[in-house]
Amino acid sequence: MRRIWLLILLLCGSSVFTLAQGRSQEGTIVRMRMAECLAAPRGFMAALSGSARQSSDELCPEYVLVSDKVVYVIVGKTSKALVPLAETTRFHFDRNELLIRVDDSNHETRFVIREMVLRAEWDRVHARMTGDDEETSSPRQRLDAGIAMRNTH
Amino acid sequence: MNVRSSHSLQWLVLPCLLLARGLASDETGIAPEAVYRSNVREVRLAFYATDQQNRAVDQLTGGDIAVVDNERVVRRFRSFARTQETRLQIVLLVDTSESVVPGFQREIADVVQLISRTDGISADDVSLLSFGGTQPKVICQGDCQGPQARAKLSTAEAADQTPLYDALVFAAGFIAQHHQPGARPVIVVFSDGEDTISRSSAEDAIDAALGSEAVLYAADVGASHLHSDGAAALRSMSEATGGRFFPLRENGTSILSAVLEDLHSSYVVTYQLPDRETGFHAVRIFPTHNLNLQLRCRSGYYYQERAR
Repeated sequence: MRRIWLLILLLCGSSVFTLAQGRSQEGTIVRMRMAECLAAPRGFMAALSGSARQSSDELCPEYVLVSDKVVYVIVGKTSKALVPLAETTRFHFDRNELLIRVDDSNHETRFVIREMVLRAEWDRVHARMTGDDEETSSPRQRLDAGIAMRNTH
Repeated sequence: MNVRSSHSLQWLVLPCLLLARGLASDETGIAPEAVYRSNVREVRLAFYATDQQNRAVDQLTGGDIAVVDNERVVRRFRSFARTQETRLQIVLLVDTSESVVPGFQREIADVVQLISRTDGISADDVSLLSFGGTQPKVICQGDCQGPQARAKLSTAEAADQTPLYDALVFAAGFIAQHHQPGARPVIVVFSDGEDTISRSSAEDAIDAALGSEAVLYAADVGASHLHSDGAAALRSMSEATGGRFFPLRENGTSILSAVLEDLHSSYVVTYQLPDRETGFHAVRIFPTHNLNLQLRCRSGYYYQERAR
């Protein structure tokens, strides 16, 4: 009987762990610039509509974070919201904000989501606009250039 | 920093070319000119790494940093190494206008003596320029530790105008003209940062320093004890070239220590040009893991597409 309880506990524990892991996602930061800071978080709807607005003259770091399916353009809440530019960035969401954990510290940095676009769309945008550039041929580079095109228009 | 052609295949191709050239000259008796070109664009970026206590970090690898070039994050590098430069080529640029602290020329002369006795700096590699009035002047070049240079500097009359930006452009030209391979060009400017008469702008001065590949160290020697616009200008110009700013009354020894420390804590990274956009490419460098790392590099470089 004790063994059965132990087995149940183990199964439950592993399920909870899997769920927790499921909430965390991975991506890669491909672009970074200092941009105008945003006002209080506008949420997913504002991000999807691209209507998030600037609030002050302060410059905050803006990152383009590429995940498997979605590309996020995120803006730090202060000018000091810098994150390490590692190959893999782990993130998750909380109350319409994107949180990035810095490896060496216990705290997470919160970012306002300025824009969200399906990755496939970015790939398509770039394929159309820079298809003839022989130096940007990898999928990551195509996506990267697509974001650049989009930001400049 | 510069953008140059990479010759990664050079060592493979070169023996074949030499062999072909040898055969050709045997047959005709005339040695044809062998010309080969490669069109791979490469960026070379020198940077300095220190910890939070401003101590040199000497164990970095390519995986510890990422470069942001024109907003694009670059993590794949062609090469990553400690700098090969072991010598400094120093131009000391001294403000002789009325607004600087009286009597500091004597202090500068002491700094020159100190530099000339410092390991890793040859007396021949030190030049001293002054500016005040309408144009900069060369006080000495290579023989600055002698009594003549000291006398020249201490008798320099205080001028009422300060052509700081023109002087920086002049110093950058001077350093480019006298550049010695294997030596890092450094400009150390002692000034209050208040330009009053230059034809050049602050941007021109920064561009000139970037063009000469010199690192600018700026020491505030203004008479004012408040944070001034001049100090802010000195700070921004020095940071744009990857150098440092030293606040009011920092002594010459600590400035020299910082310059030498930078020489020994510097790295050079090379990577493929991330885009062919001509003009200025803004560059910043960031850690990939340890945010306590302090990384400094120049603010960017100019890229111009060459006609094929």
